[in-house]
Amino acid sequence: MSLIGSIGSLPSAHLQRLPGAGGIGGTDTQLPTIRTDGVGGASGVAPADFGSVLEKMVSAVDTKQKEAADVTRKVLLGDSDNLHQSVIAMQEAGVAFQLMVETRNKVVESYQELMRMPA
Amino acid sequence: MNLISGIDVTAGALNAQKTRLDIVAQNIANTQTTRGPDGQAYQRRVVSFETELLRHQQQASGAGQSLQSVKVAQISTDKTPGQRVFDPQHPDAGPDGMVQMPNVNLAFEMVDLITASRAYEANLSVVKNARQMAAKTLEIGK
Repeated sequence: MSLIGSIGSLPSAHLQRLPGAGGIGGTDTQLPTIRTDGVGGASGVAPADFGSVLEKMVSAVDTKQKEAADVTRKVLLGDSDNLHQSVIAMQEAGVAFQLMVETRNKVVESYQELMRMPA
Repeated sequence: MNLISGIDVTAGALNAQKTRLDIVAQNIANTQTTRGPDGQAYQRRVVSFETELLRHQQQASGAGQSLQSVKVAQISTDKTPGQRVFDPQHPDAGPDGMVQMPNVNLAFEMVDLITASRAYEANLSVVKNARQMAAKTLEIGK
């Protein structure tokens, strides 16, 4: 349990500084809520359930994707000629998305490992 | 969330080099321009850069680390006089038949062009490497 908990408290330390933590529809119902009270308190971070941490992360990635799309649209429409900023924004959004997918993979892996335990 | 480190610094540098490339393009385009908005021959523009303090990162040990990017300080005019050629047919020729040509030297501009484009390339490879570093870090989980 502490393994999943530590995954939950690690990104929350970074994610709390993020702007634009708007809600993403449907994440609450799909995600299991894992309490990390004990672990979160130990690292000096306010306890947060993993669902909301992941939700924040998803919305941060979403914000990045939207920003990238916005810059790219501006370049395409001729409002701006900073081609490199558009590409850099896209790359940043891509890396953020990869980080999100990687986190999800790790959590699912841990969940499956737990499910295998009785066997 | 700043996943790709140093990307802001490089973005500033790319911006600056792009401006420099634009100015070189302007200089080359106006090699033969004998009449500007002020009625005078074109004078070549020179771009100068200055550092730009992006942010001051306070470390836990108390030592501060500052990130410095670059931006265009000013676009100044090269005041050196250009060539004067004898061409009485020219509409901008003076009473003595001499025409004041712009002080643009195509060889200089070509060197500037190559320098700017190489500097741009160098910054682009920084971007590429920073991205690869982030991608490699994410591969830890695999």
